Amino acid sequence: MTALWYFRPLFRRHAGRMAWTLLLTMLTLAAGIALLGVSGWFLTAAALSTAAVSFNLFGPSSLIRGLSLVRILSRYGEKLVGHDTTLRLLADLRGWLFASLFPRVPYAARDLRHGDLVSRLTADVDSLDTVFLVAIGPVVTALALGSAMAVLLFSLIPGAGLIYGLALLAAILIVPTVLVGVTRQRGREAVSASAETRMAVIDGIDGHSDLIAFGQTAAARAAFASATDRLALARRQVGSAGAWAAGAVQGLAGVSLLGVTAFGIGALRDGVLSGPVLVGLLLGVIASFEATAAIVRSIAKLGASMAAAERLKAIAIGRPPIADPVRPVPLPDGSTVTFSNVTFGHDSARPVLRGLDLTVPAGGRVAILGPSGSGKSTLLALLLRLQDPQGGSVSVAHTDIRAVAQRDLHRRVALLSQDTPVFLGTIRENLLIGRAEATDADLWHALDAARLADFVRGTAEGLDALVGETGRTLSAGQARRLCLARTLLSEAPVLAFDEPTAGLDRETEAEFLSDLARATRGRTILLSTHAGLPEGAVDRAYRLRDGKLEPADGFGPLLRPEDRAPQQRSAPAD
Amino acid sequence: MLIQRTEPAEGETPPNEGRWLMAQRRRGGSALMVAIALPLLSGVLLVGQAFCLASLLHRVVVEGADLPAVTTMLLTIAVLMITRIGLGIAAERAGIGAAERIKRSLRGMLYGALLDHRPDWTSARSSGALSAVIVDQTEALDGFFARYLPAMVQATILPLAFAAAILPVDVVVGLLFLVTAPLIPLFMALVGWGAEAATRAQADAFTRLSGLFADRLRGIVTLKLFDRADSETQTVVLASESLRKRTLGVLKIAFLSSAVLEFFAALGVAGVALYVGLTYLGFVDLRGSPLTLQAGLFCLLMAPEVYQPLRQLAAHYHDRAAAKAAVAEMAQQFGALPDLAESTIEGALPEPAPASSALAVSVALEGLTVYTPDRKHLVLDDVTLAIQPGTHIALLGQSGIGKSTLLEAMARLRAFDGKILIGGELLEDLAEADLRSRVAFLGQRPRLFHGTIADNIRLGRSGASDPDIRIAAERATVMEFACTLPEGLDTPIGEGGVGLSGGEAHRVALARIFLRDPGLILLDEPTAHLDTATEERVIDALLAFAVGRTLVVATHSAAIAARLDRTYRIAGGRVLPAAHPRWAGPQRNREGVA
Repeated sequence: MTALWYFRPLFRRHAGRMAWTLLLTMLTLAAGIALLGVSGWFLTAAALSTAAVSFNLFGPSSLIRGLSLVRILSRYGEKLVGHDTTLRLLADLRGWLFASLFPRVPYAARDLRHGDLVSRLTADVDSLDTVFLVAIGPVVTALALGSAMAVLLFSLIPGAGLIYGLALLAAILIVPTVLVGVTRQRGREAVSASAETRMAVIDGIDGHSDLIAFGQTAAARAAFASATDRLALARRQVGSAGAWAAGAVQGLAGVSLLGVTAFGIGALRDGVLSGPVLVGLLLGVIASFEATAAIVRSIAKLGASMAAAERLKAIAIGRPPIADPVRPVPLPDGSTVTFSNVTFGHDSARPVLRGLDLTVPAGGRVAILGPSGSGKSTLLALLLRLQDPQGGSVSVAHTDIRAVAQRDLHRRVALLSQDTPVFLGTIRENLLIGRAEATDADLWHALDAARLADFVRGTAEGLDALVGETGRTLSAGQARRLCLARTLLSEAPVLAFDEPTAGLDRETEAEFLSDLARATRGRTILLSTHAGLPEGAVDRAYRLRDGKLEPADGFGPLLRPEDRAPQQRSAPAD
Repeated sequence: MLIQRTEPAEGETPPNEGRWLMAQRRRGGSALMVAIALPLLSGVLLVGQAFCLASLLHRVVVEGADLPAVTTMLLTIAVLMITRIGLGIAAERAGIGAAERIKRSLRGMLYGALLDHRPDWTSARSSGALSAVIVDQTEALDGFFARYLPAMVQATILPLAFAAAILPVDVVVGLLFLVTAPLIPLFMALVGWGAEAATRAQADAFTRLSGLFADRLRGIVTLKLFDRADSETQTVVLASESLRKRTLGVLKIAFLSSAVLEFFAALGVAGVALYVGLTYLGFVDLRGSPLTLQAGLFCLLMAPEVYQPLRQLAAHYHDRAAAKAAVAEMAQQFGALPDLAESTIEGALPEPAPASSALAVSVALEGLTVYTPDRKHLVLDDVTLAIQPGTHIALLGQSGIGKSTLLEAMARLRAFDGKILIGGELLEDLAEADLRSRVAFLGQRPRLFHGTIADNIRLGRSGASDPDIRIAAERATVMEFACTLPEGLDTPIGEGGVGLSGGEAHRVALARIFLRDPGLILLDEPTAHLDTATEERVIDALLAFAVGRTLVVATHSAAIAARLDRTYRIAGGRVLPAAHPRWAGPQRNREGVA
């Protein structure tokens, strides 16, 4: 419940619509009770009446017609407004959740799987619809009208009022509470099994070639089957509990019907009320239980909703690992990059970078060489603040990047990472991510620089050609070059390339590296690669070894930050 | 190599979704029959219950009976109620059980169909959309089997049965029910027509939204770094908003149809009340005998019940539309509806037999022609090539020229025209298990799954022992970095190799190859992410492993090409012999060099 409570600000935004829904729900139920009550009273009175002339026929009959019409219209309105409210709420929730993911990027992706995240944003959000529309609304309505009915009964026949009141209270509060308790665990199980099923499907798609090539499809099917088995079992248990609860509510309705009848007979004997009124009351009691059946149906799903809310809250709360400073300083102009005495390790006991120093002057072009796993990618990730170093500092334009807003930093420094994907959409859409306001001429320029222009020109649709998710319909080299063009398109004065030529053939690679200076003229370049560098590609090259940089053969001496002072070494790690 | 948005395969009209759905009933088994039959029984008991209640009120109100005089009747009503509650619970549980069974079996079938396709089929589709079909759209069938089907049977039988029960009590009321009840489903079918198109649009919007999420979440780091958080959030909000509008469009129609039904039901109830009232008052006299309160109340109590099954059907009519839309969505994403005849045999594919025949196999390509998946562009044009058993071959060529395509075709992972002969047998004739045990393939972007490094290597052979895995890891130079990790090979890694560098992830995937015993090894850029020193060690291990096996490597690396027997270059859709690059290292003599 606390997880659901967390989302109340979103609910509050739609308070007006919710109030309308509630009002219409009450009107519907009230009209239903009145309709059956009046009919029963009218019929009995008519049967008992001996003088037709004295009987007012038109009053009750027009009341019956009026109530029928009111009930139909208000039910239509209630459903429409209620669903509209819920759907707006879900749309808000999706947008809000998606936006709240960005500050948490890169989240601990090792713990949060892709398919699971997709499941949270689609199915889990959807399962929250139960909360208001079918749980809170009907409960409030049934409580309000049920109390009114109980008070009326109590004033006429105290015993009947008591039985009815207790039975109704049990149907609205006790049965649902027990049901929530029983289904909570199962609901959570269903939500997690559903996410597991989705992960299995996405794994099967992403690893389809590997599964087939290694003859592992049977194992994949078995894993999938165990997820769907879990899902079916959990759902069946939730449904079963719901069926029992619905039965209990029906039983309570029966108890109050029989109780009111038994006490009513006594009251009739004592002359407290007339026959027609008794029949009217009885039929009203039957009608008032209409709302409670709906409550039980939706409460059975509440367990899943609560689990979904918890899963959603889990990705939305918590301090982002990398946070903007409270009062960010403006980033002054400039594109000098400085690493001073930087120490970093994913496991801080075994640092990958150990007191690393590097200065790249504005407009300088530097290559970082080193074996795979030596920390080249980590070095570049630190420059973008995808991680913070445990010791030392990284500065851009002589300003510690931890002191500036991430948004300012990302406008200044663009990264082509090794795992950057091609997005589902057209080539144009993929490129515009680099710079939203770029013209077609800019796009072609970037494609030219990335040596992809000829390929794009060769397709019938040109820039509007569609590429599949993660660029699987492009060759690896083409996908890489599309991402490269996207990075080149960015106006950031500092560009960081992590293995920009992976997947390119040697010729293209050499051409690209030679072109790089021209394509990025005036910008500061950091480039990690294990490729051989052609003459003139970079100003300097360093080799990353044992967590430190050393000049690579044939290149100039290592630049040190001139202001490297002892007190800087003790820069705060957190 | 570009794709079209997935449209239903042209020239093939989608089969009747309704009929297909009904055919899925048999997956539900006898539970579905129970779910349909029990409510009918309960309906019969309801007539008795209403009759008792009306009689009881009659005796109390008209005849002035005391409480003890009607105790038996009260008890009868109580027993009837309890029985009906029991029947209701049993029916609902049976319905849910049947629906779960059907969904489970259907999901297994869809996932099986997915895996049975070639990878070039899945790669042209959105993983988010496909998973939405298997998880969410299948879920949409729930209401159809658990609620709509039982409601439909009830709505067909119960109103008429109730009307027949009322006939002896009052002919006019009975006839009124008999005439009005069948009119309602007729009217609803008309409304339902409109609902179907709208529901389909909504299912489509949901699938699209799932696809969008799957895609954008994958690249969320990139989006953040390019400062696209706001605009991408806007995209998501717009897509959600469009889903809302479509859903509301569907619901409007569904609600309208139930409102229409309510209207008729209310007319019926009000008509009965008025008729009975007027008869009591003597304004109307259509019957020979006087109408008792008992008969009148019975008619009034039964009136809402006559329309109740129809109202229930109206409430669940939306389930039917949603189910049909879901099936249409399945048909669209999967190209065609899964074959009905194909029952689900989970894990029907036999585990590949441990390859005992380490005999090198020959490969022959005859007139091999491969198009891009959209069949618009030619990648390989009438390629003919013979590879002797045990030969080691390098495929060179610019990126995007078709090296990967050729390897994928040889691994039967891609459609092609012409012939590919593996060990003299046509590729398409080879049994799957046989093919996989004889041919090992490692793609350019192998997938690492969520699990430990050892788990990921074990994908090469499910039953591999820990020492085997360690040896494979050593050969692929995985141990070089794994031994620096606190948990070694048992270190968990994220999906896609999160936690490892690009080169490390690739070496983990490469280690899988060493667990197999193939006659033909197909490797796509096995050393693309590696520095020269590591590359050299990996090549050494690969060549040692490939002795006595046929090896085809697509590569940009001159270091690899120099150490293989022959070099071919792909250009202009052709595979041409190329000059063999020199290798500065020691000369070796090996068998199998033609």
